[in-house]
Formats: sequence, structure tokens, C-alpha cells
Amino acid sequence: MNTNPEQDAWSRLRAHAAERLDVSFAERVLRSAHGCPPRAWHRLRDAAADCLRPGFADRVLAAARNRLEMPSYGSQLALSALTAAACLAAVILFHHHELAAADARNLAEWSQIVAAAQDLDAGAR
Amino acid sequence: MDPSSSAALVELVRRAQRGDEVAQRELILAYQHRVAGFVFAMTNRSDVVEDLCQQIFIKMIRAVDRLQAPAQFESWLFRLARNTCIDQLRRQRLRRIFLPFAEEHENIPEPPGAVDSEELDALRHALAQLRPQDRALLALVQEGRSHAEISEILGTSVAAVKARLHRAREQLREHYQP
Repeated sequence: MNTNPEQDAWSRLRAHAAERLDVSFAERVLRSAHGCPPRAWHRLRDAAADCLRPGFADRVLAAARNRLEMPSYGSQLALSALTAAACLAAVILFHHHELAAADARNLAEWSQIVAAAQDLDAGAR
Repeated sequence: MDPSSSAALVELVRRAQRGDEVAQRELILAYQHRVAGFVFAMTNRSDVVEDLCQQIFIKMIRAVDRLQAPAQFESWLFRLARNTCIDQLRRQRLRRIFLPFAEEHENIPEPPGAVDSEELDALRHALAQLRPQDRALLALVQEGRSHAEISEILGTSVAAVKARLHRAREQLREHYQP
């Protein structure tokens, strides 16, 4: 039996520290030191494979077929741009036509006013 | 047809390029689990795996006719997968800027039974600490891609791949706590 108090204290400290360690401590240290085992990667792939519902390939093919039938973003964008350009051209054309008509109307009115003024001048003389 | 031999794979890819749906289906069946594993490693989320896999294979079907070298189909497919995952992670980050609550909703823990292995849990935790580019690197190595193929997929040099891979492995080892 050890009667040395210092030795006894060290033994107690060691025992107390050892109690803090998990039962699988050695195994965990070894696993950490050797890094991630290939088994974990296999499990990751298995877990990922489980995320795919049955009939995945058929669903992908059906979705791809639907997307091919749909107009592409490019063609939709081109159609939108073409429509916007046509609308703008129509507005400009209409505006130009209205401006020309207003000018003609104003000129005619001015001509009438000028003629009326000349008549008045001639009458006054 | 067994796409494990390179000649059979090239033939299958050529048929898929001609629009043969049977060949396209065989390609999806042959690669769906590997692509799913890659996506899971990249995103660390099981709820987006199927959606992203679907996007990747739709892109594959639409673009396979533009693949010049059918022998390099696998590298090309994993490049598609990597770019799709990076885009998804970028969109997720952008969403978080505009929707501050999204992060809380996105970090909902996996339902019980979804993660049934301590090792898998530890691996997912370790992967989550790495940058997406490093996760892609490690996942590509697990897919059996050579350094040359990875350099082609990532658009970098073989030396850079080796250096980054060394760092990524060190980090994974550091964070892997089963």
C-alpha cells in the first residue's frame, strides 16, 4: 500500500482525469489521426442516393422533353424586344402624323386670319 | 449496355448525342447515384439533392450534343454538376442577403433517421467547415477523378490541384471528429 501522500495525490489526479475521458477515447483519437475513412464517403453517397425517389430518370427525361417544347428564354426575349420596337414605331408614326395634321390646320387658320386682315386693311383704305 | 468500359460509354454517349432517349436514360441511371453523392457533399443538404440532380441531368441532355470528346463525358458531367452546385450556393447566399430569415429556415436539422451514422454525421460536419471549392475537390477525388481531370474540371493547373487538395485534406482531417 502506498503511504506517500504526494504519490497518493498524483494517483487521485490521474484517476480523476481518466474519468473525464470517454470510453471510446482511444478509438476516436485513432480515427481522427487517420482522417476520414472511405466508409464515411460510401455512407454519404448511399444517403444521397436515398434522396432520389424511384423513377428519377423518367422524371428527368419528361422534364427535359417539356423544356425542349417550351420556347427558350432567348426567343421569348427577342419576341418581347420586337413587340416593344413595333409599339414604339407605331407611337412615333402616329405622333408624326398628328404633328403634320396640326401644322396644316394651323397654317390654314393663319391663312384665313391673314386674308381677313388684308380684307380689313383694304376696306379701311 | 454497361457504361463501365470506356468503349461502351463512348458508344452510349454518341447515341445520347443523336437524341436516343434510351441512351440518355441509361446515362442517367448509370450516374445518378454518383452525381447525388457529389451534390450532397457540395451542398450538405439532403432536401436539395433531387432538385439539383434533376437540373444537372436536364443540362446534360440539352448540351450533350455539343460535347466534342465523348470519352471525356464523366469529367464533363462532373464539371456540370460542380458549376450547378456553385450556382445554387451563390443563389442561396444572395437569398440570405435579401431574406434574413432564410438562413434559419435553411439550417433546419435533418429529420431523425435521415442521418443514421456517426461517421456520416462527422463527415458532413467536417465538409460544412470547408469552402465549396474544397468540398468539390474532395468529392471529385472520391469520384475517382485523376489530378489531370480535376485540373481540367476546375480550370486550373495540376500543381494547384495538388496543393489545394493537400490543404483540403488537412482541413477535413482537422474537423473530422467522429
